[in-house]
Amino acid sequence: MHLNLASLLGGGRGLGQAAALLIALAVTATASTSPQQHLQRQQTSVTLRIPASHLLPNPGVLPPSTHATLSALGAGRASAPLTAANTLVFGNVSAGSYLVDVHCATHAFAPLRVDVVSPDGGDGGLVVRAWETFRGNDWDNKGEAVPADGGIEVRVLGQKNYFMERSKFNAFSILKNPMILLGLVSMCIFIGMPYLVDNMDPEMRAEWEERQKTNPMNGIMGAATGQPGASSGVGNFDMAAFLAGTSAKKGGSDGGAAAASSAADSGKATSGKGGENNRKKR
Amino acid sequence: MLPPQLSALLLLALPSAVRAVFKDEVGHIDYHYELLGVPQQETTFFHRPRRDEKASLLYTLSDVGVLGAVNPSSGAVLWRQLLNGTITEGGGFARAGKGEGWVASALGQSVHAWDAITGRNRFWTDFGGEVKDLEIMEMTENERKDVLALFDEDGSSTVLRRLNANDGSVVWEFRETSKDIPLQVSNNVGKVFVISLRGTPAAYNLKVTVLDTLTGKRLDEIVIGTKGDVHSKDDVMFVGANSAAPIVAWTDASHRQLHVNALGTKNRQDFALADGTVSVEIHAPHLVQSQPHFLVHSKTATGNRAAVYHVDLKTNAITKAYELPLLPGPGAFSTSSSGANVYFTRVTERELILFSSASHGVLTRWTLETKDSKASAVHAVSEVVKKAGTEGGFAIRSAAVTTNDDWVLIRNGALAWTRPEGMTGAVAATFAEIPENEELAKSLEQEAHSNPLAAYIHRVKRHIADLVYLPAYLNSIPTRIISSVLGTDVPSADGKLARDSFGFHKLAILATRRGMLYGLDIGNSGKIIWSERVFEIAKGSKWNVTGIQVQEDAGRIVVLGSNNDHVVLKTETGEIIDSKLPGPELAAQSAALVDTSSGARLIPVGLDGTIRDLPSNETPKQTIVTRGLGGEIKGVVFVANGTSAHGSTAWEFSLPSGQRAVSVATRPSHDVVASIGRVLGDRTVRYKYLNPNTVVVAAADDSASTLTVYLLDTVSGQILFSSKHEGVDTGKHIECALAENWLVCSFFGQYTFKDGSAQSYKGYQVVVSDLYESDEANDRGPLGDAAYSSSLGPIDTPTGVVLPSAVSQSFILGGPISALQVTQTRQGISSRQVLAYLPETHGIVGIPRMILEPRRPVGRDPTPAEAEEGLIRYTPVIEFDPKIVISHERDVLGVQNIITSPATVESTSLVLACGLDVFGTRVAPSFLFDILGGFSKGSLIGTVLAITAGVAVLGPMVRKKQINMRWKAPM
Repeated sequence: MHLNLASLLGGGRGLGQAAALLIALAVTATASTSPQQHLQRQQTSVTLRIPASHLLPNPGVLPPSTHATLSALGAGRASAPLTAANTLVFGNVSAGSYLVDVHCATHAFAPLRVDVVSPDGGDGGLVVRAWETFRGNDWDNKGEAVPADGGIEVRVLGQKNYFMERSKFNAFSILKNPMILLGLVSMCIFIGMPYLVDNMDPEMRAEWEERQKTNPMNGIMGAATGQPGASSGVGNFDMAAFLAGTSAKKGGSDGGAAAASSAADSGKATSGKGGENNRKKR
Repeated sequence: MLPPQLSALLLLALPSAVRAVFKDEVGHIDYHYELLGVPQQETTFFHRPRRDEKASLLYTLSDVGVLGAVNPSSGAVLWRQLLNGTITEGGGFARAGKGEGWVASALGQSVHAWDAITGRNRFWTDFGGEVKDLEIMEMTENERKDVLALFDEDGSSTVLRRLNANDGSVVWEFRETSKDIPLQVSNNVGKVFVISLRGTPAAYNLKVTVLDTLTGKRLDEIVIGTKGDVHSKDDVMFVGANSAAPIVAWTDASHRQLHVNALGTKNRQDFALADGTVSVEIHAPHLVQSQPHFLVHSKTATGNRAAVYHVDLKTNAITKAYELPLLPGPGAFSTSSSGANVYFTRVTERELILFSSASHGVLTRWTLETKDSKASAVHAVSEVVKKAGTEGGFAIRSAAVTTNDDWVLIRNGALAWTRPEGMTGAVAATFAEIPENEELAKSLEQEAHSNPLAAYIHRVKRHIADLVYLPAYLNSIPTRIISSVLGTDVPSADGKLARDSFGFHKLAILATRRGMLYGLDIGNSGKIIWSERVFEIAKGSKWNVTGIQVQEDAGRIVVLGSNNDHVVLKTETGEIIDSKLPGPELAAQSAALVDTSSGARLIPVGLDGTIRDLPSNETPKQTIVTRGLGGEIKGVVFVANGTSAHGSTAWEFSLPSGQRAVSVATRPSHDVVASIGRVLGDRTVRYKYLNPNTVVVAAADDSASTLTVYLLDTVSGQILFSSKHEGVDTGKHIECALAENWLVCSFFGQYTFKDGSAQSYKGYQVVVSDLYESDEANDRGPLGDAAYSSSLGPIDTPTGVVLPSAVSQSFILGGPISALQVTQTRQGISSRQVLAYLPETHGIVGIPRMILEPRRPVGRDPTPAEAEEGLIRYTPVIEFDPKIVISHERDVLGVQNIITSPATVESTSLVLACGLDVFGTRVAPSFLFDILGGFSKGSLIGTVLAITAGVAVLGPMVRKKQINMRWKAPM
């Protein structure tokens, strides 16, 4: 539950010049508790204790600048340094309701509400009671009571981390990139396929090549990549034959035409594969 | 329900509001001087924190109220405690018992003891009176050593308490009600002596009260006549403590005779002092087992000499043993004892000389090898170790405070470390641009003014002359490339100061209360490039700097003081051009930096808020806001009167009775606003109320516990906006800041809400108010688009005076904040951060303005239009997330003032915090959008190399394959 502490301040629009001398609008709140009862001169001491916990296994590591403050309206500055016994001791605390903060450079602590009251009807010493408090909530919205005898235990919220982590160079994170994965897969196919085809059983290979030939996708793929499917394309162009003034299709050597057609038949998607294939054949 | 892309944007916006420091940036973008303050002679000592280990540490309670331990071999601070939570003006006591693992200290009304190694507290006890002296009882009836603390309660009673060193409980208390002034406490094996002044200021006598160590009962009381030589407590120079035969010594006003009394006896002995003695100091060992010898150090105007005296333990007779010759300079003596032997170390301008207290023979001497020849030691503490075996071999470590407020450690004559402790107590600071090279500017000017041919020849000659630097430049290329790849800083060419293209390389000028000025090179880890003693400030007083101004064109700095003093010095070297010593009387409350027809000028403001007549070319163009004697606020304008102009009060603003001004804030001198309006989510615009002539005055009413914040128009004195907060603790930090069209105010509040919910609240909070020209969007208010307007001229609108429309919101803070400042960037395009010091956690926090946004929707999630604007849901609490602490892990102590300055790049603002520590960094409130920060050049080069290698390997393969394909055999 959060409170709205908004104080909408009406900027004095429409105020006459004479009236504008001192018009303070929009008062957030009023003082609730009257200033601490100064008449009561009785004083006591408040001891806080930092126990070892899983978040802070050894309170001995806390820096010596660790200290606690006790604040309330008109209470002045009350500060208690951390002792070697991991306690924080406020001497001479008068009656009142105090906000207790433990300030530390390395760890964060939960704020506390500490009430120093005289017991009902009794005229004995002052009694110290403590609760957890929640900033931004009603002061009377107390948390769980913290036992005050033997030192009020302060709860560690955790270690303070002041730094941002810089993203480090990580080969794995690059490999996780889908674009890289796609590239890697196609590279595997590109390199591994000819070997796979080469190592095939001759019969099985012939069967496979046959199937490739009849595969309708092949023609489309071949056309798309500029490879000869059924029709002649640029890839089918025989430079030597062209320069010799003969057409591969027409009167060229049979071997040339056979090689070309075999290349086309094996349904290669790329010329490199064809070259590999042919070299092996040779 | 939010559209998914918007909620994603919202999620991104939350963490992006903060940008913490990267660990590798530490020490690269920031610098920090972890300081203690200038050590005081009486509260500085070497001490072994562990009885059975030889290693000792250096402890001091400085003149700013910091108790700390320093590693004498490295000069590093091990721990420190700001005892009162605020900077003090000297005083306090610190002592350590030999062989004990704790250090006792006292300041103000409290006595405390600290673990000597960890700096943790052993006990902290507050008493009613003011502590006048602190001593350790070396010998007690049990093993424990106890603490003796002397108090003065309300000037009416003298109280001596013996405190248990384990828990601070009172073992016994001696109380005496009298008008006597308690002075010091001393003890020997069997007795405790309380020395007080009895009588009238015209002629005090010394009263020695002898007490029993066990019970604190009075055993005896001795009054020693001083024949009217003692007029104040400062006249009594020394009360020997803990030595086998403690003494008390004083001189007459003319320093002709030294009077010594062995405590516990009635008679005094007189010794003649040499002619021309100006001041006298006494040095004696503090240990019971040491021989009862003491040294009298007498300074003349130009030199210093010393004499060693012995006390006879049986007869209490004091005899002069030997004299040390007169040497030039102030000189410093220090005492160290090892067992019964007492050694005196003399630090002169050139040498470090060691004597034994028994004879005048020099045991060893070293020539000082200090780099800084100007400074000489003022006071010192030393630790003498006699080397085992070797005959006459000594090792000395001497920690000395120099005339330049540095703390140096001299180890056997060589300088081990220097700590610039004088930088504590900074009272004014500013940034200065590094002056441009004047020679180049001059020769360019010369070329421009001569005929083209001559200019051309001159230019060619200049370029040929510049070839001298070519080999050096070529030499520097490899290191530059390597450092640029590794990301290390390129050291500025041969230590010369030069501006950089980012504008990070500037100077920070610091003026301290002790009359020192420092110039720090903030582009080079805040290195001190010059330090200059401007004035000798007497102990107990301080240099009250009212204004500091950098004249960039002239390359000068002008510093004005409150006592009619000023100093002008060169920015680059700190060389003093002109100075005037502070007068005896306070003459100025502040100084105003104003524009005049002859450029920007600092004008001192008199104590009553009036300003003297000024010549017409120095007449300020603006209204100067001053404070009158009665606390009223005045606007002073200058009226030309022939060749001069006199200031006349244009308006006066008196605070309502009971209120006092606690904080005044103005817009920063560099407060550029990039956009005059705020575009809202629905594409309408709210126009900012941008009035350069505004000032925020926060007035507190102590009796009613209220705080009223006024925004005043400095031209007309009109209240533009005011707000009142009830239940405000006026004794705690209240601070305001004003920038652009908004103001923030921080205070401690405790109140009940008025909304009928009967909820109450207690804690630190900050209130932020945005000012707009009109309540409505797309409306420029009564002034409309008018290019000019006057707050003095009549306004022919029915609404009267143009008042801003305000939107306010308050937030609860995780702790108190002080020294509020707003980041400044060059064009004001970057968003802003409110910088504040956290006095409790010793850090500097940069709260993004996006969090301190009064328009954050309350009690609901932001609408898509609001989310587009960057508004996030209102949460009442702003906890200080460690990620927004710009000083990260550093323990920045006692910051009084934060200053900011824009860099050349828009993204960055330079920050300097001073007061006790000095800390500087750069902040980028909207991220480093114009700098490739944290770019890993190494991985870039690695990638390029890997690709090159791949190409080199694959290239031939592919080529071979292609050729094979072309030449494949026909089948």
